[in-house]
Amino acid sequence: MPQAPIDDVGLVPFGKGFERGLDARSLCTRGVQMETLAGLGLPVAVGLTIPVPNVPGMVTVDRAAAAINLLESSAGRLVGARTDDGGLLLLRLSASAPVATAGLPVDLVAIGLLNGQIPSGLPEKMHADLANSWWKSASAIAEFGCQVPNDEISSLDLDIADVTQRIAALITVCNDKGTQPFPLDAAGQLAAGAQAMLSRWNSPRAARARRAQQLPADLPLGLHLETFVVTDHNDAGHGHAISRDLTTGQFAPNGGFRHGFRASGERQTIGHPLNLLPGGVSMLTGVLAELEGRLQSVALVDFDYGPEGLTLVGLEELNRTSARVATSLAVDLATRGITDERTAVAAIKPPHVLELLHPRPRLTGHEQQLVTGLAASPGAAVGRIALTSEEAVELAESGDSVILVSAETTPGDLPGMMAAVGILTVTGGSASHAAVVARGMGRPAICGAGGLVINRAAGTVSAGEHVLSRGDVISIDGDSGTAYVGEVAIERPEPSFALSTVLSWADDVRRLGVRANADTRADAATAMDNGAEGIGLCRTEHMFLGDRLPLIRRVILSHDPQSETAALSALADVQREDFRELLLACGDRPVTVRLLDAPMHEFLPEHPDDAEDEHQAKMAESLHEENPMLGVRGVRLAMLHEGLYPAQVEGLFNAWIDVNTQYGIAPELEVMVPLVSIPDELLMMLRLIRRVNQEVATRTGVVVPFKIGTMVETPRAALMADQLAQSAEFLSFGTNDLTQLTYGFSRDDVERRMLGTYLERGLLTASPFAELDPIGVAGLMQIAVERARSVRPDIKLGICGEHGGDPASIAICERLGLNYVSCSPGRVPVARLAAAHASMHPASH
Amino acid sequence: MSQEQVNDAERQVLVSIVVRGMARGEASPEHQSLAESGLLLIKGPMIMPTPAGTALVGEQLRLAADAPERERLMATFHRFLPVNRNLRDLCTAWQMRPDGSVNDHSDPSYDAEIRDRLDDIDDAIAPLLKRFAEDVPDLTGYRERLTEALDRLDAGDNAWLASPLIDSYHTVWMHLHQHLLLTIGMSRAEDEALEEQLVSGNHG
Repeated sequence: MPQAPIDDVGLVPFGKGFERGLDARSLCTRGVQMETLAGLGLPVAVGLTIPVPNVPGMVTVDRAAAAINLLESSAGRLVGARTDDGGLLLLRLSASAPVATAGLPVDLVAIGLLNGQIPSGLPEKMHADLANSWWKSASAIAEFGCQVPNDEISSLDLDIADVTQRIAALITVCNDKGTQPFPLDAAGQLAAGAQAMLSRWNSPRAARARRAQQLPADLPLGLHLETFVVTDHNDAGHGHAISRDLTTGQFAPNGGFRHGFRASGERQTIGHPLNLLPGGVSMLTGVLAELEGRLQSVALVDFDYGPEGLTLVGLEELNRTSARVATSLAVDLATRGITDERTAVAAIKPPHVLELLHPRPRLTGHEQQLVTGLAASPGAAVGRIALTSEEAVELAESGDSVILVSAETTPGDLPGMMAAVGILTVTGGSASHAAVVARGMGRPAICGAGGLVINRAAGTVSAGEHVLSRGDVISIDGDSGTAYVGEVAIERPEPSFALSTVLSWADDVRRLGVRANADTRADAATAMDNGAEGIGLCRTEHMFLGDRLPLIRRVILSHDPQSETAALSALADVQREDFRELLLACGDRPVTVRLLDAPMHEFLPEHPDDAEDEHQAKMAESLHEENPMLGVRGVRLAMLHEGLYPAQVEGLFNAWIDVNTQYGIAPELEVMVPLVSIPDELLMMLRLIRRVNQEVATRTGVVVPFKIGTMVETPRAALMADQLAQSAEFLSFGTNDLTQLTYGFSRDDVERRMLGTYLERGLLTASPFAELDPIGVAGLMQIAVERARSVRPDIKLGICGEHGGDPASIAICERLGLNYVSCSPGRVPVARLAAAHASMHPASH
Repeated sequence: MSQEQVNDAERQVLVSIVVRGMARGEASPEHQSLAESGLLLIKGPMIMPTPAGTALVGEQLRLAADAPERERLMATFHRFLPVNRNLRDLCTAWQMRPDGSVNDHSDPSYDAEIRDRLDDIDDAIAPLLKRFAEDVPDLTGYRERLTEALDRLDAGDNAWLASPLIDSYHTVWMHLHQHLLLTIGMSRAEDEALEEQLVSGNHG
C-alpha cells in the first residue's frame, strides 16, 4: 500500500486540530468528533490524535514515547501511576479513517501496564475487568506486533481459565516464539499496538470491508491515544446518551451508564438508565440539543463521570435512523430555524413514508390483552392457536391462519413456524434462535412472554384470568410485544404529527397535483384523508360484477330490444346509487369516472349452464375472443351496445343532482372514455353523453356541469393526441396498457417468465410496469403532451396507472409537465412527497 | 420401536431430521420406512420427526454420564455459549437496525461492520469446533458447512447469514447447537440458564 510521505504535523491534542488548520483528511473521524466536542467548551478526554501522515512512525518506540510524554504532561500524572483515590492511569489506543468506515481495528485498552502485569492489591472486580481487557489487547499485540500464530493464542485461551496466568503464559510464548519479545513498558506496548492496528487494517478482512463499502483500498488510518483511569470509585463510571427516543422519534435524551471503567472497545448498552445518572442529565441534554443543531443528525455522546463531573469522550452521528426519527428530527430542525421547510421535505424519503404508514393493529381501548413479551419480529398477525408443529401444519392445511404458541422453540418447531402467520413463545429473548428464524421468515413474533402457561395435554393456554384453547383466535403485535385475545383490526395508521407536517410542507413545494384511484366511498374517504385532491380514476368495472352481472349480461347477450332497454334502465339506477356514495366522499373535488373498460369475457357465462337461456348460451359462445385484452373492450364495446355508456352517465348525472340538492356539494365531474385509438370514437361518445346531459337537464331542470376526456393507452392515441384534444378537455395516460402496447409485452406472461432473465442480463434495469420507461413510453407521452397542448393549451393531463404512485415515474411526470398523478389511496402520501422532490430536483432527461 | 430395528442409513437420516427439525422434498425409502415405524411424519413435501423419533435420537446421541469425553465436551460447551450469544446478537443486528427498523441492506457500511464482526465469531468458534470434533466425531461436518455459508455470503447473497430456509451460517450454527444439546442431554431451559450465567459472569 503506498504511504503518504511523513510530513510532521506533530501530535495533535484533542481540541487543537481545527486551530492548526487540520481536517478529517489527517485527523480522521474520531479526531474531528473530538474537535467538535471540545468546541462545545466542555471537558473532553485528555488525548491526542496521531494524524494520518505520522501513523507509520508510531511503530517506533521513540515516537511512541513522545506521544506518551505529551499526554503525561497534559494529565499531570505518569502512565501506570496510581491516582489519589486508588485508580490507575492507563492508555487507550483507537483508530479511525478520514471517512466513516466499518472494519476498523478494535480499541486496545489498558496499554501501559508495567511488565505487562496487573498490579497487585487492586479490588477484586477491578482486577478482573482489567485482566480481561488487557488479555484482549495483549493478544492483539502478540499476534500482530510479535507475529505469534493465532492457534497458539487460542490454545492458551481455551486451556488456561485464570486470566492472569494466561497473560503470563502469553508473554512467555511471545518471548519464545515471537519475532520480538513482548514489550514490557508503555512505549514498547504502544509501538507494538500501533503495529498491530496497522497490520489489522492491512489484513484481507479489512480490505474486504473497504471493498464492500466501495472505499479506496488504500484508505489511510489515523490513531488516537487517550488516558483513562481504571477505578473502583463508587461515583465513577461511563455511559452514553442519545439525543432522541429511537422508538418515538422525540427529542428525549436517553441511554445508560455503569460503574467502573470502559473495559471494552465496544459500547456497553447494559447498565442503569440515564435519568439516574449522578449529577443529573441537564448538561447532557444541552450538549445533545446543541450537537443536533450543528450536525443536523441524531447525536450520541459517550461520557465518563466521576466526582469532578462529566467528561465527553466520544461522539457519533446517527445518520441512518428509522422513519419516525428522521421525520421528527427534520421537523424539529426546521421549526428551530436551523434548517428550513424545503430541507425537511428533502430529508424525508418515500420509503420513510411507507414505513410510517405500514399497517399495524388499530387499538380501540376495548381489546383484551392476553400477555406481553419481547418484540422479537415486527409486524402483526391474527390466527388460531396451535400448540405443536403438527397442529400448526394441519390447521394451515385446512386454510386457517395459525399462531404457533410454544414454550420454547427448538428446530422441531420449524415446520410449525413455517405454517404459522405469527409466533408466540414463553421463553427466549429477542435475539434467540427462534427470533432470528421468525425474522428470517418474515413472521411477526413475540418471545419471552413469561406470563403465559401452556398445558399441551389439556390443549390450553392461560395468562392471568384468560384461559384459551387450541383453535381460539388471538392477535399478536410483534412491534410492541403484546398479544390480544380475539381478532384485532390491522390497519394503516394515521400519519403522525411530524409526518403530516412534512407532507403539508411538501404540498407547498410541489407543482404536480395528486389524486387517487378509488372506486368506492371507503377508498375515496381514505384517499381524501391521505391528502388526495380528487379522484383521478374511478373504475366502473367492479360495479358490474356480483349481483349486477345478470344485468350487464342481458345488455350484451340480449336478443330483443325491450329486454336490453329494461336492463339498461336497471343499470342506470344501480349506477346512480354507486356514484352517489362515491361523490359524497369527494366534496367539491374533481372526480374522473372511467366508463366501462373490461374485456368482454369477464361478463360472459363461463359455462353454458350459467346462461339464463339457450339463446344466451349460444350468443356467449359466438362472442368468444382469442385475445380479449385487445378485443371488444372499452369504447369498442360501447360502440356495439350504444345504450351502455348513456346508461352509465345517466346514473352519474342523477347521482350528482342527488348530492348537490341534498348536501350542497358540487363535485367536478370528468367523464372518461377508455381505449380510444380513433378520434371519431371519442367524438361519437361525446355526442351520446351530451345528449343524455340535455335529457337529464330537461327532466330535472338541472344542468350538470361535466368535462369529457379520454384515456391515452394505445400508441395511436398518443400520436393522435392533437386530434383527440379537439374534443377532449382532459387526457389521462393509462400507462399500464400503454407500456404493454409500446413494448408488445403481455404483462402477466412477461412478468412470470421473462422479466427475471431480462433484469439479470441487464436488458432492463427495472420492470417497466413498476417504473415508467423513461425513454420509450415517456417519449410517446411527450409527443402526446406536445400535440395535445398545441391544440388546447389548457388541456388537463394526468396519469392514472400504477406508475402514478412510483417516485421515479412521478419525476418523469414532472418533467413531462403533466398536471397531476393519480395513484392508489395508500400511496397518496408517497406521491405528495415524491412530487415535491420532483419539483425541487427536476429530472434531467 | 426399538433402536435395533433402525439400520445405519435410517439412523443417519433420522438424526439429521431431528437436528434440523424438518426436511423438505420428496420422501426417500428411508423416510418412508421411518414414517412406517412412527418415527417420522410425512406431510406433503414436509418431513418432520415425531415425538418418538426425537426421543430415540436423544437416547442414541446422549453421552453416558461417565463417558470420558463428556467432561472435556462440557468444558468446550461452556466456551461455546458466550460465542453463541454473540452470534445470535449479530444475526439480530443483521436483520434489525438498533432502532428496531428492518435492515434493508441498503447501508453498505452497516452491513460491512456486521460482516467484519462475523470474522471475530468465526475465529472464536474455529478452535471450539476442532475440539468438538476430536471428542465427538459426529460433530465433524460443521466446520465445512459454516465455511460454505460464509463463502456464499461473501459471493454476494445476503441470505447466507441468517435465512432459515437455507443452510445459512445461522441455520448451520443452530443445527450444531441442537446437536450439542442432544449429545450432552441438556434441555433448552437449562441451556438458556447456563448461557445467561456465563454471559453475565463475563460482563461482571
